This record gives sequence, structure tokens and C-alpha cells, in this order.
Amino acid sequence: MDAVEAISVTDQISSRSRAPRKTVPSFRWLLPWLFVTPALFIYVVVVVYPMVVSVYLSFFRWDGVAPTKVFVGPQNYVALLSSDPVFWIALTNNAIWLVAALILPTSIGLALALILNSKFRGSRIFRTIFYIPAVLSLAVVGLIWTWMYQPTLGLMNQVLDLFGWKALERNWLGDPQVALYAVIIAAAWNATGLPMLLYLAGLQTVPMELLEAAKVEGAGPVRRFLYVTFPLLRETTLIVLAITAINSLKAYDIVYAMTYGGPANRTQVLGTWMYFQTYNYNTVGGGTAIAVVLFALTLIFAVPYLRLMVRNQ
Amino acid sequence: MSASSTETPLRLPAKTAFLPGKSIKVTLFYTVLIVAAFIWFIPVITLILTALKDAGDFAVNGTFSLPQSINWSNFSEAWDTGVKNYFFNSVFVTCVKVPAGILLESMAAFALTHMPFKWANRVFLFILIGLIVPIQMTLVPLTLLMNALSLIDTLTGLIILYIGFGIPFGVLVMRGFFRTIPTAVIEAARIDGCSYFRIFFRIALPLAMPAVITLCILDGVATWNEFILAQIFLRSDELRTLPLGLVQFSTQFSTQYDQLAAAVLISVVPVIFVFLFFQRYFVSGMAGAVK
Repeated sequence: MDAVEAISVTDQISSRSRAPRKTVPSFRWLLPWLFVTPALFIYVVVVVYPMVVSVYLSFFRWDGVAPTKVFVGPQNYVALLSSDPVFWIALTNNAIWLVAALILPTSIGLALALILNSKFRGSRIFRTIFYIPAVLSLAVVGLIWTWMYQPTLGLMNQVLDLFGWKALERNWLGDPQVALYAVIIAAAWNATGLPMLLYLAGLQTVPMELLEAAKVEGAGPVRRFLYVTFPLLRETTLIVLAITAINSLKAYDIVYAMTYGGPANRTQVLGTWMYFQTYNYNTVGGGTAIAVVLFALTLIFAVPYLRLMVRNQ
Repeated sequence: MSASSTETPLRLPAKTAFLPGKSIKVTLFYTVLIVAAFIWFIPVITLILTALKDAGDFAVNGTFSLPQSINWSNFSEAWDTGVKNYFFNSVFVTCVKVPAGILLESMAAFALTHMPFKWANRVFLFILIGLIVPIQMTLVPLTLLMNALSLIDTLTGLIILYIGFGIPFGVLVMRGFFRTIPTAVIEAARIDGCSYFRIFFRIALPLAMPAVITLCILDGVATWNEFILAQIFLRSDELRTLPLGLVQFSTQFSTQYDQLAAAVLISVVPVIFVFLFFQRYFVSGMAGAVK
């Protein structure tokens, strides 16, 4: 009797527990979505959906207000390439900026990392000093350097004055010959911190024994760097170059703050020209077409970068 | 170890270990480094000197001279002309955006690493794309969308945009950290009958504190510094955040460099303070995040 009761009880328990076991698996797949969906939803609404719509809009002629958009096919792109001189100025400026960014901040960052990697008295203070510009807003960096470049009271011309090089003095941001380079220097001041930081992290992975061994073999510091350290930093270098390239194409704030694209559009980059087209001249189709071109250029550097990151995961 | 590490910066050949030569090289090394650091920091020094001077001092002594008398009034005047408003807007946006963003990002990252999730890799890749999208690519549709939702010219709308754009980087950082938590820990809690919500809030998130702090700093600085979205989506002066407010300030009061410099310093000091305070996390987190 007892045994029978016990059996029936266990039966009940097992049948009870069996029933939910059948339903639970069918909802289990939902559980991770519960965690992912809030983030995914905002991300899709704010980033992905607008991206797709931008591509769509780049095939229309539209002022952003009128109820009707006129489908024009690839005409916005054709117009950019064939009859918009400022687009070509912006594209050239982006190219100059890119080359400068791939050379200046990266090599200065690497040099600083090599010097500051070893622990000597005060090395942390020096690291801080060289890194601080990187935590400042690009808009603020723009304002600081606008003041440095100011024609009469700015530091640049005052220093040149001090050395008696009056001929070199100029209105740095107003002179079409030099304005772009003046802005790029300011941007490089801000962009050097990240490569320095990444190289400092990368140098931690270079084994001491290898360097010691090379030293014992009679390799001087230059050769130790060329044949041991730098090859081992290959991956760091790839990341640094990719991030610097992507960031240089994003240039916007600092141009807006320093020159507003001037003088006479000489310092426009794709980022600012897209803004002016869209919000000042109300040519939404042309503006989104510039954005698509900018994105396509970014992809050249971003795809290898993303692949590298996925491979590392 | 210590010997070799002091040698490395000096580029000393092993032979020249006698003292006089070494001390000359040490002096040379420090001189070069200090000069370089000084040149590097000139823009910041100029900014500080400018902010501490009054207008008359400029005219007489030029820009790069010590102020005749330290003059704090630039700061109070800038503060009262609107910087106060910008400052508190920035504080508000940063203090709402950062915790909210990190909560969403770490929940998603937790599901991507420690839950049975067939789509985990695909979802992660999909989110990674956001790391490389130029903001210009989203501006026009976002303007239309924000208009339709009447979120244009509101700090709420701006915060939602910031959260959306922050998700790829946040998920990347949090996922990287969650992967280092052994599956056994999570499984043990599962066997003890712990729900995933409890595991997330009671075990995973507390364990991930170093990553959370790193993200707080990186995200906080990025939010504090953001310019383009604020510029497009905020219209009224009283809602402006600091970078936007400062740029407007510079166009309106283009000749009052002393006040502008003071205003810029007010915006910069919190960031530098946070950086100095959390430097250790900052450096390791930043490097870990992109690797």
C-alpha cells in the first residue's frame, strides 16, 4: 500500500515535472533574446535603419521638406563626380588628411611608446602629459588651436616674431595655402595619444628574453627595434593604422570649430560638405550621396580591421 | 631587470657603464624629454595663461607671458554667460546615458557569452558593424525620425541617440570581459536553480566591475566630448551641451579670448580629473578594448 502510494506519488511528481519540461524548451530560445533585444532595438533604430534609409534617399532629388521625392537613379552621384568642384576639394582634403594621419600621429605615438615604455623616474608624468590631448573633445582642441593660430595675438605668430621670422607669419586659418595643414596639425595633436597607448600595450607582449638574446648577439638598439620589436608589433600596427585611418575619415568637429570649411571651401572634408549640402543648401539627395561615398571609403579600412578583430575573438 | 630597463631609454651600449658618461646621458635624456613635453603641452599652457589674464594684460605683454596678476573673474564671467547651463546639461546627459547604456550593453553581452544562444555570433557581428559607420550616414533619416517623434531639441532625444551609437563599443568591451568568466561559474549557479536574471545581476555584473568602470570612463569622456549629434539635434541655447555651447560661444564672443579660454578650461578640467583619477583603468581598458 505504502509502496503503491509512493509509486503513484513519484508518478505524479514526474508527470508534473514532465509537463513543464515539454513547454520550457520551446520558450528557452526566447531567453537570450530577452537580454539582447533592448540593446539591439535601440541600435537598429538609431544606427542600422537610418543607414539603409540614407542609401535609399541618395537616389532621390529632395529638399527635405516637400511631400514628394523625385526618383533620379544614380544622378546624385553623377552630379557629385562631374559638376561639384567642392566635392573634389573635400575628397582631396580627406586624402591628404588620411596620409598625414597615417604618418604623423602613428610614428610620434610609436616613438613616445618606445621611450616611455621603460620605467624611469617620472615616466608616468610624461605619459600623462603626452596623452592628455587625446581625452579632449575635438571641438575644444579646435578652439584651443584657433587661439594658437590667431593672427595678431596667437602664439604662432608671436613666436615667429620673437625669432624675427616676420616673413613666415600669416593668418594661418585664413590662408587657403596653409589652412588645411594648420587644421591637420591640430587634429594630429589630439590623435597621437591613442597610437601611443596601443603601442605601449603592444610592447608589453614583446618578450624581454628575445631582446636580451639579440643584445647578447651584438644587435644595437636600432637593429633590435627593426628585427625584433617592430615585427612583433605587426598586429598592433595594423590596428593602429586602421583606427587612425577610420578616425581621419570621420573628421568633422575640428573643421567645423576651426574654419567652418573656409576660406572659400578650401578646408571642406566629406564630413563637413555632407553637412553643408544637407542642412544649409537643403539638397538631401546630394548630401546622403556624399555620406554613402564616405562610408564606402571607410569600408576599405574597416573591413580588414573588423576581420582582424573577429579572428582575435 | 631594473638595470636593463633604465638602459633601454638611454640606448646605452653595454660597455659604457662607467658613471660620468652615464650621468651626462641621463641629463641629456631628461632635457630632451622635458623640452618635448613642454612643446607638446604649449597649447594647454597658453590656454591657462590666457584664462588667467585680463584684457589689458594681453595688449601690453602679449599672449605667452605670465599674467601680471592672477585674474579669476574670467571664470565667473564665462560661467554666468551660459557656461553654467552647458555644464549642467553635459552633466545630466552623461549621468543618464552612461549607466543606462552600460546596463543594456552588458545584458546583451551576457546573452552573447553565457546563454544558450544559437544566433550569438551573427548578432555580435551585426552589432560590430556599428563601430565603423560614419555618423553622417545616419543624420538625415534620424532628423526625420526625431521630428516625427517630436524628440528634436530635447535632451531625452539626444540621450537615446547616444545610447544607440554607444552600443557597439559597449557590447565589444563587455563581451570581451564576460568571456573571461568561466562557464563553470554560471553553470554551477544554474544547477543551484538560479535564474539567468539573478545570475546576471548577482554574479556576472559584480564580477565584471573592472570592465564596467573602464567603460564608465571611456563612455563618460566620449559622451562629454560629443559634438556633431548635439549640434544637429539641439536647437535652443539653453539645452546646449559643453562642446556645442563653447563653439557657439566662440562665434558670438569671438574677441573675448580670455573668457573663452576660461570656458574651455571649465569644460576640460572634469575630463582631465577623471583621467588622472582612473588612469590605471583607462590605459588598460582602452588597450584591451581595441585588441
